[in-house]
Amino acid sequence: MAAVRRNILTDETARKNYVQGVKLLKQEQLGPTTADLGIPGPPVQVSTYDLFVAWHHLAMDTFTPPTQSDRNAAHRGPVFLPWHRFMLVLLELQLQRVLNDADVGLPYWDWAADGELDPDEQPASPVWADDGMGGQGSPITSGPFAFDAADPASWRVRVAANVQGQLRATNRGLRRAFGQSVQTLPTQADVAAALELSDYDAPPWSTQSDGFRNRVEGWRPLESAPGLHNRVHVWVGGDMLPSSSPNDPVFYLNHCNEDRIWTAWQERHPTSLYLPDQNAPQELQGHRIDDAMHSLLTNPVTPRQMLDPSDFYTYDTLAVS
Amino acid sequence: MKRSELARAATAEAIVERVAEQGAQLPRQDQGHDHGHGMPMESTREATYYGHHIVIRTTYHIEVDGTPIEGHLGVTNDGQVHYHAVPNLSFASAVDLVKQLIDTFPEDFEAGTDPHGHGQGS
Repeated sequence: MAAVRRNILTDETARKNYVQGVKLLKQEQLGPTTADLGIPGPPVQVSTYDLFVAWHHLAMDTFTPPTQSDRNAAHRGPVFLPWHRFMLVLLELQLQRVLNDADVGLPYWDWAADGELDPDEQPASPVWADDGMGGQGSPITSGPFAFDAADPASWRVRVAANVQGQLRATNRGLRRAFGQSVQTLPTQADVAAALELSDYDAPPWSTQSDGFRNRVEGWRPLESAPGLHNRVHVWVGGDMLPSSSPNDPVFYLNHCNEDRIWTAWQERHPTSLYLPDQNAPQELQGHRIDDAMHSLLTNPVTPRQMLDPSDFYTYDTLAVS
Repeated sequence: MKRSELARAATAEAIVERVAEQGAQLPRQDQGHDHGHGMPMESTREATYYGHHIVIRTTYHIEVDGTPIEGHLGVTNDGQVHYHAVPNLSFASAVDLVKQLIDTFPEDFEAGTDPHGHGQGS
């Protein structure tokens, strides 16, 4: 039976399972070290959770094609949505494994609902409560991921990007700084406008494209960017800003909601196909429908294989705006 | 794709094995970029207009307190500047971009910090 992904603010069991699961993955060390990830310095064991942090960074560090510096193997191009769906499915499978429950689904944060609050009220949303994801700070000091220097089991950032765009080993608490670079979260009207777009993507297949993918990723409209997905990263701030943003478990709540929006769009536009198809030029390799995506697995997985996730999960509701 | 198919392939052991396989191929994170320390960052924009092929190469030399900033920086055809280390933002001004870097990576701008991130953090 497929897992059901639920709203973290209305389903206490989904929240508890998620917090417990990511903490177990954060503690699980199966052998890989920072040296295996190309990180200089004395080798330090990295957790299963941190392998996903590194994967996200390395995919972002892989330009497609390498002769340009806009599209990468997971962002700023058509593969953005299927790649992140794949990443979330892989993490969800790991959560199910460590929780020994194949029905556990990732929760989502319906950030557009919080975007309807007054700007001053948005940092006080229940998602940031002690019994939610905790609050802001450098490091954060409340909630399940609060840092306690005396407690080695408290949530610690162990692999993070630096200003040169490289991964480094570290050992510190999680950081968030709400509303610093943008004051508000995306709104339900922003989501509704994205759902109206009937084309999945369009030339030049980048941050300048008109189409649903680029709108959800958050590069358009330019005058109000960052939008949707990007805006949530930027509003949360702190560790949600660099390429190592999966360090914050809120990363997955954001992407789960964005995936829910994509699922709602797929239902609304059943005849709109993923683009580009496999006849597109070689320079779009990594983004065409049957190209292998940047992966943590040996077996290739393609965007086409991620278009119908119904055997993995469903959502409790596709009411997104 | 069927859940059973991916679940079989996505064991923790398989992920670890893949990391080990790829590890030797990964660029060391202090050598991974195609320009060396102190080298400028070049961004190339290309477009076609009425059959004419346009190429614009823009070179950036960025320093903060004398320390070079050397990650991937690009300019898109709409003139927006973006930088690999803050992937969810683009800027009309490279100065605003660098201000964002200072806000986002405070430890990289503290006195005595190795500007290239070598070695362990604290």
